[in-house]
Amino acid sequence: MSEPKDSPEDGDRRAFITKATVGVSASCSVFPFAAGVPAFLDPVSGNGDNADEIPWSKVASLSALPEDGTPTRFGIVRERVTDAWTTLTNVPVGAVYIIKQGEQVKAFNLKCPHLGCTIDHRSDRRDFFCPCHNSSFALDGSVSDDASPSPRGMDGLETKIEDGFVYVRFQQFRPNLAEQVPLT
Amino acid sequence: MKAVIDWLDDRSGFRALIKEALYEKVPGGARWRYVWGSCLTFAFFAQVVTGTLLWMFYSPSAQTAWESVYFLQYHVWGGWFLRGIHHYMAQAMVVLLVLHLMQVVIDGAYKAPRELNFWFGIALMGVTLGLSLTGYLLPWDQKGYWATAVATNLIAEVPLVGVYLQKLVIGGTEYGHHTVTRFFALHAGVLPGALIALVVGHIYLFRRHGIHAKEPRPKRDSYFWPDQVLKDAVACLAVALAVIVLTLYFHGAPLGPPADPANEFPARPEWYFLFLFQLLKYVPAFWGAIIIPAFVVLLMFAQPFIGKSEKGHRFNIGFLWCLLIGAGALTFLAFSEDRANKKHFAAVEEADWLAKRVVEIADKQGIPPSGAVTLLREDHENRARRLFSSNCASCHLYNGHDGRGFPVDSNQSAPDLAGVASREWLEELLDYDHYVSTKYFGGTAFKDGKMATKVLKKFDEEEKALVPKVAALLSDIAGLPYQKPLSEKDREEGFDVFFDELGCIDCHDIEDEDEGSAPDLTGYGSRDWLTAVVGDPSHERFYGKDNDRMPSFARDEKLTDEEIDILVDWLRSKPSTNSEVR
Repeated sequence: MSEPKDSPEDGDRRAFITKATVGVSASCSVFPFAAGVPAFLDPVSGNGDNADEIPWSKVASLSALPEDGTPTRFGIVRERVTDAWTTLTNVPVGAVYIIKQGEQVKAFNLKCPHLGCTIDHRSDRRDFFCPCHNSSFALDGSVSDDASPSPRGMDGLETKIEDGFVYVRFQQFRPNLAEQVPLT
Repeated sequence: MKAVIDWLDDRSGFRALIKEALYEKVPGGARWRYVWGSCLTFAFFAQVVTGTLLWMFYSPSAQTAWESVYFLQYHVWGGWFLRGIHHYMAQAMVVLLVLHLMQVVIDGAYKAPRELNFWFGIALMGVTLGLSLTGYLLPWDQKGYWATAVATNLIAEVPLVGVYLQKLVIGGTEYGHHTVTRFFALHAGVLPGALIALVVGHIYLFRRHGIHAKEPRPKRDSYFWPDQVLKDAVACLAVALAVIVLTLYFHGAPLGPPADPANEFPARPEWYFLFLFQLLKYVPAFWGAIIIPAFVVLLMFAQPFIGKSEKGHRFNIGFLWCLLIGAGALTFLAFSEDRANKKHFAAVEEADWLAKRVVEIADKQGIPPSGAVTLLREDHENRARRLFSSNCASCHLYNGHDGRGFPVDSNQSAPDLAGVASREWLEELLDYDHYVSTKYFGGTAFKDGKMATKVLKKFDEEEKALVPKVAALLSDIAGLPYQKPLSEKDREEGFDVFFDELGCIDCHDIEDEDEGSAPDLTGYGSRDWLTAVVGDPSHERFYGKDNDRMPSFARDEKLTDEEIDILVDWLRSKPSTNSEVR
């Protein structure tokens, strides 16, 4: 059995061939991944970001809210929501607590600013409580217990009152930050 | 670093594995003819990677498959490119399969002791074709839908169990969610899994018996690494480049209009299945889809034994060449028959139009949860074309076709309505030679009517010169959305001609004046006027008892008011030039 042997002058040629082989093989291996990189990265490319202004959602009539400032929970329904290719109409997108203070209202997103669980209202203790990681919030939304893991108070939302109805600009914020940063 | 690698090697022995893999001996030296297997492995690898990436965008259901592909194609950054690479790599795989098979048989590499490996190869070929077939349906567009409908109907031809097999494959009796989910499971799970298992066996057996050297050996023996690897890699790169060029040239893979069971489509399989499609025109489905393919596959399985003698080997090579040439000839026939078929051409044109149209609408309005096909069903332009084709085109043409772009078999008997009431259309209509031509009233009783014989025919040069003014006036009354209104002065001039110089008013009413026997031209060509004519041309206001065969669509409830509105709006819109019969 004759083994293939290199003569000394083959050395350079061999080195070149080895380099070329590694280079070409690597290009081939990378190619199919490269073909999908832009598509894969699409969600962070800013391509699908919603630049539209946040719409006002009609939530409740002011007179229907309890006068004593007890929070009331309402669902937020958007007229038109686009999910990738599908355009949906009248879709629930989240929920809020509304608290009446005289002729003004306060609105809080139900989502816990810690890690996004749903916050309960505890009527017996007159506060808010997140059952996931035990964050508690006062009725004004601020963190009420030093042991609460939430880095900030509940997310307040912009409100307005028109013709006796409460409107809310419903939006989500990045979780687990001390400051409120809207999600886009 | 070295310590880590040493530790890994000690625990896994990967160095020996790599050495084993790379230092395979290549008798006779590295050669280009050995590259096809590696190319196929590379192509499959590329399909797994791009396919997995596509998976992140695909949503398998009857109402979301097309829609998710549409979104990837038109709204995801580089989505069209990813899809294009997967699409054209699939086609490259079929070509590479043929090259690999031919090389193996011509070189005699299928003979003992490599019979088993040859059979693995045939099985791999079957799985690859299965991947093509199942992948084709996944976009759930008209092309995939109808081509697969034919393919799955052929499954029913399998003796005894065919009907059950067909139900299993399409997930019931009708095409729907479970057809997509099953095809997707086959395409992305079952078949690739089978392919990997078979490839492992194929490569193991290949290594066991070594490369079958084609005699005479051109050079001294060498190792797989790096000479043969370089040749393989260069060939793979060439395949990748070819696929990139195809993707860029065609701007990705085509996406037809969404699947619509209610609307026909010129069903054609991908080009590499066209020979089977053509074969089915000549032989019964049972023969074309079962007996002949089964015979070919059986014969291929027997080739290692047939090839034991020199004569048998030559027969094997000849047989494959005959298959290739036969398939090539059938493919050529399929293409040339389609090219000569005007109806097929029109159907393809219409499908292209629908594909563009639905994307236009989806981009603008979004897609409802009921799916994109409803966008087309509700689209007025599409509905108008179809209404015209099925209700009007037996007498009227539209730009020489039936409204949808299809040629019409029988002679036209009533006017061509493309651009009806426009200035150009009226100027032609009011010219005697055109009036009595089949494009206008040549096929009707009006050819010998008063307007033709007593009026238009008798016009002298001076009167003929006034015709454009009347045409301009009437077309202005029509108020077509794509024509500019006349100036007040031109309008007055038009009325002067209408009332005095040409005396049209003697027979035709206009602006509710006078009472003539010919059609009332008050509001001529307007939405109301056309709606009334289509609704009841036999009405006293229009042709009365002189009406020549035109049905009263509203009076006799042949069309709903909504349908007539849609038709009229379409007739009053600018005729599109791209739907003309070429």
